[in-house]
Amino acid sequence: MKKIMLAAAAVVALGGSAMAQETVRIATEGAYAPWNFLDDSGAPAGFEIDLGNAICEQASLSCEWIINDWDSIIPNLLAGNYDLIMAGMSITDERLVTIDFTQNYFPPDPSRYVILAGTELDFANLSGARVGVQGGTIQASYAETNLGPNNTIITFATADQAMADLAAGNLDTILADGAYLEPVVTASGGGIEFAGEDVLIGNGVGAGVRKDDGDLKATVDAAITALKRDGTVDTLIAKWFEGHGPYFAD
Amino acid sequence: MQAFLDDLAMMAPAVLFNLYFAAASIPVGFVLAIFLALGKASSNTLINRLSRGYIYAFRGSPLFIQFFMFYSLALSLNMTVWRPLGISGFVLHPLFMGPLVLVLNTAAYTAEIFYGALRAVPRGAIEAARAYGMSPSQQFRRVIWPNLIRLAWPAYTNEVVFLFHATAIVYLALPVVGGQKDLMITAKDLFERDFNAFLHFPVAALYFLAVSLVVFFIFGLIYQRLMRHLPQPGRVRFMPRWMR
Amino acid sequence: MFDEIAFWFAYLTNGKHLTWYASFQFTIIAALLGGALAVVFGLTGATLKTSRFLPLRLIGTTYSAIVRGVPDVLFFLFFPLAFEQAVEWVVATQVCTVESIAAQSSAWPPCREANWFLGTTEYLLLASVSLGLVYGAFATNVIHGAMRAVPHGQLEAARAYGMSARQVLWRVHIRQMWVYALPGLSNVWMLIIKATSLLSLLQIADIVLWADRLGAPNFLPAVGLVHDDWRWRYYLVLFVFYILVTWLSEKAFEAIMRRAGRGILSEARG
Repeated sequence: MKKIMLAAAAVVALGGSAMAQETVRIATEGAYAPWNFLDDSGAPAGFEIDLGNAICEQASLSCEWIINDWDSIIPNLLAGNYDLIMAGMSITDERLVTIDFTQNYFPPDPSRYVILAGTELDFANLSGARVGVQGGTIQASYAETNLGPNNTIITFATADQAMADLAAGNLDTILADGAYLEPVVTASGGGIEFAGEDVLIGNGVGAGVRKDDGDLKATVDAAITALKRDGTVDTLIAKWFEGHGPYFAD
Repeated sequence: MQAFLDDLAMMAPAVLFNLYFAAASIPVGFVLAIFLALGKASSNTLINRLSRGYIYAFRGSPLFIQFFMFYSLALSLNMTVWRPLGISGFVLHPLFMGPLVLVLNTAAYTAEIFYGALRAVPRGAIEAARAYGMSPSQQFRRVIWPNLIRLAWPAYTNEVVFLFHATAIVYLALPVVGGQKDLMITAKDLFERDFNAFLHFPVAALYFLAVSLVVFFIFGLIYQRLMRHLPQPGRVRFMPRWMR
Repeated sequence: MFDEIAFWFAYLTNGKHLTWYASFQFTIIAALLGGALAVVFGLTGATLKTSRFLPLRLIGTTYSAIVRGVPDVLFFLFFPLAFEQAVEWVVATQVCTVESIAAQSSAWPPCREANWFLGTTEYLLLASVSLGLVYGAFATNVIHGAMRAVPHGQLEAARAYGMSARQVLWRVHIRQMWVYALPGLSNVWMLIIKATSLLSLLQIADIVLWADRLGAPNFLPAVGLVHDDWRWRYYLVLFVFYILVTWLSEKAFEAIMRRAGRGILSEARG
């Protein structure tokens, strides 16, 4: 159970009502910009950090962020090391077997392929390609089932590591969340580009909770509903994901 | 009990990866170590310094860091070196990078063992060889090497066992390709499914223990053969002095 | 030129880098604590191994053989997990009710009340104990050998003075033993230093984890400095760091051995 916790996990104790509630520990990966990352000061930042803090404020919870490696983020939730996962995690039937999700706070987003500019790949019948994915993601299981037999699937611990191998030419393509890839493609100045068809998997991104934690799920769900209604979620999406949204405006 | 047998069966293919890593790196490391040991004993200042520095650096730093460093280093050379040569996928494959780093590492440890043995070779034997008019290469092949390998064998046996143990961290540092998983990764994956630490890790440990014992047995036989000219051959003892 | 220096200085002293530098404390604490525990376990193991009582002797021998027979990293991952689960199991027998066990959806812990939350401090302690246990097995052998190397005359002289067996052990045998054990213990210490690189596997945000995070390529200006893959540079720093620590330790042990060897015949120091 590999787990990495930062010594200085940011404690976001929010005022308002002095609810005698325990601290809610929220786990994130901290290596998936702009969803969640560690900023220059070493503190967690990104869309989900902003949103998580807004949820905590809305629900008058006192929250604490914990950085946990992606590959063990669900096991450690089940083991009770924290109470909530906000880590760009898509809601899937497979995950719903072990954990519950709140409603999504980011709509279903197609997964996309990226390649290095100047390379070509026949995506219609992909074979013999080196496909990079982050281990334990929906893209990893998709690639294993659909591309596995004819291609080499290479699993990385973080998305950034996969990106490093693509940039260095060790991978032919990466399959990952569109919303993760878009800023990278934009910032690469033409070095990395989208290719192939989008792949529709997952039911949007939500916060993961333990199945026996119905109270917390209800509280967070209510807060997300309120934040969707007052436009906070859309504002944050617009802030972190250029060209996305508004999704939840009436 | 059934769960135990299931684990044994599930880890059987995994142990092959550990065996491969060890088998691929031990022979190359052995040869490289001979040159490094001779280099460390060389009177040529440059060769001597280089060999000493190499051995010191690789014995003085963790294998775990060496894995990360060489993988990312090889990755950064990909566009300029490996790709033009057309060996990109080969060089960066864990089945190549793993043994490569293990070779670099074990060569340093083995060289230190050989160097120690080299200095322990009786001077009289070398002088006698010289008196017979043997050339330096003859001296090495006929006199120094046979003495050296007998002196070094017990310590070398331990090094081989610990190299095998070191294969446990290959996939903790390198990306996993397809379903290629070694004992550690398999045990970790199984653990994260049902949290049964007391089953999966001990089963993996059993495999390591079993292979270690086999290595000891085989290397012990070789040692007895090496020492067959002595009335009472010594025995290889499980007494590691150097490890990573 | 000056701008460039200022830029790199600012980059290398931003919060993320400062956290990296601060994380060296985990490595150092784990090494020192693990080293101290290894000596304690080594002394215990060696005492058990020389015990006249067969079961104790067996425990000592089995401990040092088993732990050395499996990879350190495996024991390393196993021990903290096993310890955590053992504690949770004991707690569970006290606090879990039938309902709370039924309500638990995951395989472990038995019920939520029994869950033991481990933070960095707890993991660091468990990591150090892990190190101590693994390398204590090596220290057991070193100390066992050193105890046998103490000249018999010394012990006989002590007995002739009328010392009890306990007094002979603590006042003469163990004190004399250090000189013979130091070269071996210095080897064990070098192993412990290198093993501290595995801390990130033991759930600690250590220097290796930060080197990976800092060196990973960054494409987004919002996240920080945009750079490509710099990981090998960060790992090179760690590579050099460990070599330096090894070198310093060697010098320190040489000094200690010179001191400890005073008044003892030189052949004892081999």
